[in-house]
Amino acid sequence: MKSLSAKNNNPAGLPGKKTSSVRTLTEENQRLRDENVRYARYIREKTNQLLEVMGTQPLRPEEFDDSELLSLDPIGIIAGSFAQVYEYLNQTISDLSEARDELQAIFDATGVGISIIDQDFAIIKCNEKQRELLVDKQMDNVCGSYCYEVYCLKNGPGLDCPAVDTFATGRPVVVNEVRKKDKYFQLVTTPYARDEQGAVTRVIEVALDITARKKAEEEERRQRGFYLAEKSKLASVLQSLSEGLLVTDSRNRIISINGAALQILDLSQKQAQKLKINELFTDCPPEARTIFDVDTPEAFQNFEILFRSDNRELLLSVNAVPLFDGDGDTIGRVFTFRDITEEKHRQEVFHRTEKLAAVGQLSAGIAHELNTPLGSILGYARLLLKGDNLLPEQQERLSIIAEQAKKSGVIIRELLNFSRLSVQPPDRTITCDLNQVAVEAIKVLQTELDKRFITAKLDLFVLPAVTADPKRLEQVFVNIVLNSAQAIGSNGEINIASQCSEHEAQITVRDSGPGIPPEDLSRIFDPFFTTKPVGQGTGLGLSICAGIINDYGGAIDVRNAPGGGTIFTIILPLTGEAHGQ
Amino acid sequence: MADMQKIQLDILGQVCPACLLVVLREMNIHRQQLKNGETQLIIKTDHRDTTRTIPESARKMGYDVEVRNLETYYEITIGKK
Repeated sequence: MKSLSAKNNNPAGLPGKKTSSVRTLTEENQRLRDENVRYARYIREKTNQLLEVMGTQPLRPEEFDDSELLSLDPIGIIAGSFAQVYEYLNQTISDLSEARDELQAIFDATGVGISIIDQDFAIIKCNEKQRELLVDKQMDNVCGSYCYEVYCLKNGPGLDCPAVDTFATGRPVVVNEVRKKDKYFQLVTTPYARDEQGAVTRVIEVALDITARKKAEEEERRQRGFYLAEKSKLASVLQSLSEGLLVTDSRNRIISINGAALQILDLSQKQAQKLKINELFTDCPPEARTIFDVDTPEAFQNFEILFRSDNRELLLSVNAVPLFDGDGDTIGRVFTFRDITEEKHRQEVFHRTEKLAAVGQLSAGIAHELNTPLGSILGYARLLLKGDNLLPEQQERLSIIAEQAKKSGVIIRELLNFSRLSVQPPDRTITCDLNQVAVEAIKVLQTELDKRFITAKLDLFVLPAVTADPKRLEQVFVNIVLNSAQAIGSNGEINIASQCSEHEAQITVRDSGPGIPPEDLSRIFDPFFTTKPVGQGTGLGLSICAGIINDYGGAIDVRNAPGGGTIFTIILPLTGEAHGQ
Repeated sequence: MADMQKIQLDILGQVCPACLLVVLREMNIHRQQLKNGETQLIIKTDHRDTTRTIPESARKMGYDVEVRNLETYYEITIGKK
């Protein structure tokens, strides 16, 4: 300060009282000067203190003298600045408080449980969700309690506790599934605070309740298990079915087939999976093939279809139903089928036998009733013929009567023979060699065959004995071979072949004739059915053959050979296997 | 902001703490305008220590501070955050 203003300025050189007054004023002036210096120093010191708080250097004396310092008013300036700092701090505190409230609201409102845990596994803080999920309702305050006691009901941190890992490694840890108090959680722990050495001192643990998802997964697993078990059960049932089962898709492709179907159709699984069902039944008439088409809405029951494959010909009884999805749309068809070839054959044999028995009984009655009058007609015709007074015309007419009566007698005998077969039980004590019987039959017919230039070829496999009367069997062979010879006419071949299975002997007679019209095949063993001109056959020959074979528990069948001609097949049970029919 | 008032404060040749006191005085005088973002205080100084003390103090008061090192001096801009 270059000058200080004094309240009383005493001019020099005044006498007496005035001198005393000047001195007093001078002293007062000095006192005020000293005070002024002290105040300036005080202000400078306080200014320096404040500047130090502001983080800068103290005032240097050369920078501002006392007068400049006072006029600058540094304390006022710094006070003004402090007021701004104070205002800003208040604003910041208010913002932080608001932010803290927002954070707390988010902390509590979030759908996951959140805890802050210290190194001793004491809970520092937890949100409402965490309390709701894992804290007993009776507990008012969990802060300071051990998390393993409150959340896990354990005496210490478990091996599956991710917080242990986070404290140890300093890294976040995710555990996808932890069970706590009958609930399942996905846990994430992440470092929250570290000490000066960088060690984690607090972690945040976030717990997501996955109990509902877990239960849904378990339910799904249970349902899947149930579904798989049911599927396996169903597959076993389908596989164990004796009926064939086939499922096709919307493009008629086979998508499922059971073992019985593969066996009946003689297919491998691999072959079947590549096929469209229509390709399996190529020989079916078009109207029959519609049952296989996915576009056919109807169901079919016991639909009989002929299935041909290589040299096999099977009669199948097929059931077909449409397959629907959940919306009721057709997505394919389900077929079940069985091979009824044998069943059909047995039915035919049974009907034939029934027919034979009925006709046999009828024939026996008629033959018996006709035999006596016919004998009388023949006897009297012969007696009259012995007379010598007959005109030639009368003699001729009587001869015709006698001849026709004799022919009728033959028919009557055949009828009686047929009826005896039908009603008399066979003798089951006699056994014979089927091959030998065939050889004997050919010997009997050799002259007839030679006359027709027909060669008989035998391809015989050694056969065990069958239970049958060789004489009656010979009658069968003679009848069949003679039929074949008559069918051939002249120049041809008859092949007789035998073979044997575990329980049966089989012999086939194949001729090179024209074959039998398909419409006649089913009637060929019917009594009185003949294709020969009237008067040339009784139609009883093959009926008698069928009767004899049936009597011995066997079967006789006829079919046209693929290359032409007819094949008769005779099957007889081996001795010990025979059973009556 | 096109109509922002820019107050230039040339304290070249001055050192701390005088610089700081001068700047603080200006900030007190124009406090309201600075807070509202109507005014920016642009200070020219060649005293290096000032580039520390002024921004520190201004930030504590809630202002945004930018320091640019120009060829022969520093330019400190103080304005609304």
